Parts: sequence; C-alpha cells; structure tokens
Amino acid sequence: MVVAKWAVELKDVRKAYRTGVIEVPALRGVSLQIAAGEFAATAGPSGSGKTTLLNIIGGLDRPDAGEIWVAGQNLQLLSSGELAHLRLQRIGFVFQTYNLLPVLTALENAEFTLLLQGVPPRKRREKVEKLFSEIGLTGLEDRRPAELSGGQQQRVAVARAMVTEPALILADEPTANLDSATAIALLDVMEHLNRATGTTFIFSTHDPQVMERAHRLIRLRDGQIASDEARGRRAVAVTAEDDAV
Amino acid sequence: MTSALLLVKISWRNLWRNPRGTLLTALALGLGLALLLISLGLLDGGHEQTIADGVRLGPGHVVVQAKGYQDSGSDELLLPARVVATIEAFLQTGAMKQVVRGVSPRLLATGLLNSSANAAGVRIVGVIPQDEATVSLIPQRMIEGAYLSNDKVSEVVIGAELARKLEVKIGSKVVLMTQTLRQPGAETKNGAGEEMQSTLLRVSGIFRTGIQAVDANMIQLPLPAAQTLLGVASGQVTQVTLLLEQERDSPLVAKALRKQLAGAPVEALTWRESLPMLSQILGLDHAFNYVMNGVILAMVGLGILNTILMRVLERRYEFGVCKALGLRPRQLAVMVIGESLALTAISLALGLALGLSVHYYFATSGLDLRWVFRTGLPPALVFDPILYSRLSLNRIVWSVSIVFMMATIISFYPALKAARTELPDALKTL
Repeated sequence: MVVAKWAVELKDVRKAYRTGVIEVPALRGVSLQIAAGEFAATAGPSGSGKTTLLNIIGGLDRPDAGEIWVAGQNLQLLSSGELAHLRLQRIGFVFQTYNLLPVLTALENAEFTLLLQGVPPRKRREKVEKLFSEIGLTGLEDRRPAELSGGQQQRVAVARAMVTEPALILADEPTANLDSATAIALLDVMEHLNRATGTTFIFSTHDPQVMERAHRLIRLRDGQIASDEARGRRAVAVTAEDDAV
Repeated sequence: MTSALLLVKISWRNLWRNPRGTLLTALALGLGLALLLISLGLLDGGHEQTIADGVRLGPGHVVVQAKGYQDSGSDELLLPARVVATIEAFLQTGAMKQVVRGVSPRLLATGLLNSSANAAGVRIVGVIPQDEATVSLIPQRMIEGAYLSNDKVSEVVIGAELARKLEVKIGSKVVLMTQTLRQPGAETKNGAGEEMQSTLLRVSGIFRTGIQAVDANMIQLPLPAAQTLLGVASGQVTQVTLLLEQERDSPLVAKALRKQLAGAPVEALTWRESLPMLSQILGLDHAFNYVMNGVILAMVGLGILNTILMRVLERRYEFGVCKALGLRPRQLAVMVIGESLALTAISLALGLALGLSVHYYFATSGLDLRWVFRTGLPPALVFDPILYSRLSLNRIVWSVSIVFMMATIISFYPALKAARTELPDALKTL
C-alpha cells in the first residue's frame, strides 16, 4: 500500500474564468503541500482565489493546468463519478451557510453521508451519537435545522463532515455567519477533532480569530500565494523529506 | 435503511416543505384524473344507453334478414318461412338461450295512414306483440292507451307526433293503405302482387320515444294483420331481431347464426353493421373525447412540469450541496423522480376520490340533459337525454395508468435538470 507523502499537493495549478471574451485568472501557478493532520487556513481579500483553491482541492472544479493530488490520488485522472466517490469517502465539507438539508433532523443530517456510504444503522447511530456528545449536540438530535441556532447548525454541519472520518475537511468561511463566542466554540470543536483524529483541516477565512487559531496561514493575493507561515503546532508532523511508505 | 430509502424519505418530506403548493399541485393533477374519469364514465354510460336505445328501437343487437336487404332496403326481400323456423329453433339451443334475451320477427313496409282529418306516410312494422315486448322499447314508451295484444288483430299503435298530425286519439279509426309486396322472382299475373290494399285499424296506444323519426313515422300492428295486408304468406317476415343479454356478445352470436344459416340467402348482422351510422357517430364521439382528454391532460401535465421544475430550480443550491457531499447524479434524479411520484400518488388518491364520487352520483341519479333539448331531440339522434355514468374497472385502471405515466414521464426533465446540477456553480459561497 502506498501512503501519500502529502494530504494535499498542488503543482503549478492554474485556473481562469471566462465571461464572454473576458478571461479572469483566479489561480496563477499555485504550488502547495499540506501535510496530513494540518489545521491550515487560507486568507486573502475577495477575489484572491481562496474559493477557487478550495473548489479545486475538493474536486468540485477542475483546473486549466497543473496537478492536484488529494489523499494520494491525482484528481486530474478521475472521472466525475470517481470524484463524487472520493468526496464521499475521503473529504468532508463545511459550508459558510451550513447547508443542512432542511427536511432532515440534526441526526439525519449528520448521518447523511454515512447513509450514502451504506453504513449499517446501528453503527451509524453510534458514530453520530458519539460525535454529538463530543461537540455538544446531545439532546438536539431530533430537531430540524430551522429549530437550531446558527452555531448549532454549523456544529451539525461539522458533525456531518467529520462522521465519515475523512482524510480532509474543507471549510469555507465556517465562522462567517456566527457571533464571536459561537465562532470560538466552533473553532474549539474543530481543533479538538483535529487533535483527536488527525484529520486535515483547510479553511478559507476572513476571520482574524480563525487565522489566529490556524497552525498554518496561507495568504493569497491575485491568485498566487503571497505568504505561507507556520504558526505553531502541526498536528501530525509530516515534512517534505518524509518518504512514501 | 438504504440510501434509496433515505432518498424516498427526503423526497416525501420535501413535498411537505410547502404543503399548500403541494396540495394545489396534487389537486390540479387529481382534477385532471377526476375529469378523465367523469368524462369517460359519462361517455361510456351515454354510449351504452345510446346503443341500448338504438338497438331496441331499431334492428336489435343482431338482425337476420334476406341477403341484400341492408344495402337495398327493399321491402320485397323477405326471409323464407323455413329460415325463420331454423333461426327460432337454433335460438332455443342451450348456449344461445344463455345469451339471447329476446327474439322478435318483424315484417316491414311503407304505407299511408289516413284519419278523418289527415294522412301521413308511415313505416309499417308488423310484430308479434308478445315477442316484440322482449326486444323493443316501444311497449315501454306508451303514453296513452296500451300496447298491442296477441288476440286483437285490428289494432295499431302509433307515435305521438303522428297522432298529433292525424288528430287521432285512443279508439280512433284509421285506414292503412299500402301496396302488396311482390316477391323477387315470383310470378305476377295481371299485376297481381302490386295491388293497393287497405285495412281499417283502431288506435289502441300512442307511444313517445323522444326520437322524432320514430314518433312521427312508425306504427306497429300485429304480424298476421300486416302479412294479410301485404299479401305475405304466414311465416314470412322481413327480419328476425335479437336482443342479447350483453352487447359484447353480438359478433359471436352473429357469427354463430351465419354458420347455422350457411347456404341460405340471408345476412346476419351485428348492430354495428346494421346501424353503421350510429357506430360511426359513437366512434367519432370516442375520438373527440380522447382528443379533449388529451388536451386536458396536456394542460395539467404542463402545470405539473412547471411546478416540479420550479421546485428543482429553487433547490439548485441544495442539490449542489448534496452533490458536493457525494450524492451521484443518478441518485439526485431518483430523488426528484421519487418526489414527483409521491406527488402523483397523492394526486391519484385525490383524483380517484373526486372522480369516483362524481361518477357514483351520475351513475345513480344521472345527468339530466333535457334542458339542452327543450325543443326535442334531433330527428336522427337516438339518445336518452338523461345520462347515467358507467365506468368499468378497465377504464379506471387505464385512466390511472395514463395519468401516472404522464406524471412519471414529465418528472424526467426536472430530474435530468437536477442530475446535471453543475459544480461548483451551484455552490456560490464555496
């Protein structure tokens, strides 16, 4: 079995959007390695390429040029179906506006990806209940999203992303719609999960609190990496020198 | 619970995110089904009545007559007495007795009926009263006096319009004039067989069928009197009419008679052959009704398409999220089709409840259309103005299947649209 050196690796990734004859470059030759277990944030002004970068890492969009490796797989070589499978099995998403399915309860929302994976009911229930207990959602299982606060909804979204034990979680401005106390509580939850499970987290954010808590901050400007600074602990220290096993 | 069941659960709950919209849509589709059932019920009921009335005022479900009579209408073409005897014997066999309700031999001719006040051309129908009562509607439509009886040979019953024209009442004397029938190939001597004959009759009953052509032209008199008047041998008639227990047995009975009478110069016709115009009118009516129902269903279908499509477009972002989480396009399509089928199931339940309730009302109380025909029914129309709905199980299954299939097919396009949700465009904030 080959274990990837990096959780995420981008090599000279380029992406431009076309509106009629106008071409707007979003990423201009981004190369990046993110180790397994990192708690990293991408920051930058609007239009700097944060969203495009997350879309491409998550297999939601394809680059015009360059290579993207996620969990040891070259995304360029995967079909749409294979990308969907990769997302289901290896990647978790947390969206800015929570995006829970309104017709499902908190528990059902959290179970959603497990159901798609075909996990048996008992195991599913155990996993969700354990996670709910860890992130303070016990007692809210049967509530619909409309009956939950923003912070609670975002925690359910985190539970939905985490419950499949993915290798990578991509979170798009997860605290953007939360007050600062709730945002801190959510960051606590995510950092705790990062420490406990070694799951790689990559955020895009404008929030100084998130930047402060990130262990690595990658600043983007005009589709390029402006700076890349380590800000403390790396949950699982995988360096470029580590070899494939 | 498998992922398929999860999709069904999501589909079902999605329906109730907007209960009012869902119920209105379901009601629209249900109304389509209800209209289909009601119109088919009235159509089938109307046709059944029209056929029943048409055959009972005309040649029955099956008629046996001399070969060529259908095309020529020549009153001189008569059934030989031995053929009539063969038919009657055959109809007494076990199998035939099961399916044949009544048999009536008739002698037909034209003549002139004179009263003290007026005269009118008439269609003469010589009948055996007891037999005719098992086949014809005339005995049941007497409005004055009584129908013919077997033992009174000089009686006649006439239509109400004819009675009005001749200014006669029950008990009035009338004189029927006609020409004796010349049999084809029969030797004539000094014009014998073409003599004018007349007989004095007493009006014993007046009938009203509501059909102008019958009420103004038809008279019935006992067969022996008609045979004597027309110079026809006893046992000879123009036709033998059969009324069956079930209309659908007509082709089989006609076929059996043809086989039995093979070699004889006769024709055994079903009502569709003996009343081709009625058959064509009913066929046209069916076709027109199908077109109208098609239009109704198409309109309802477009409404459903619009509603489901709007629901899909409104939830593009949600579909984007599902797709991002790993839901495959096929599963998204299944979710939308499932939602549409659940909506259809509710619609069908509403439509069946509404359609069958209205059908039941019309089946028991009838739809009275007499106000439409205040001045009387068109002369050529054999039509009971009170329609009773009739729906067979086949019709109900057919209607439900059509609506179900339509709704399913319609849901494919929105499902395809959902399946083709483009990432990352559908996720604007990621």
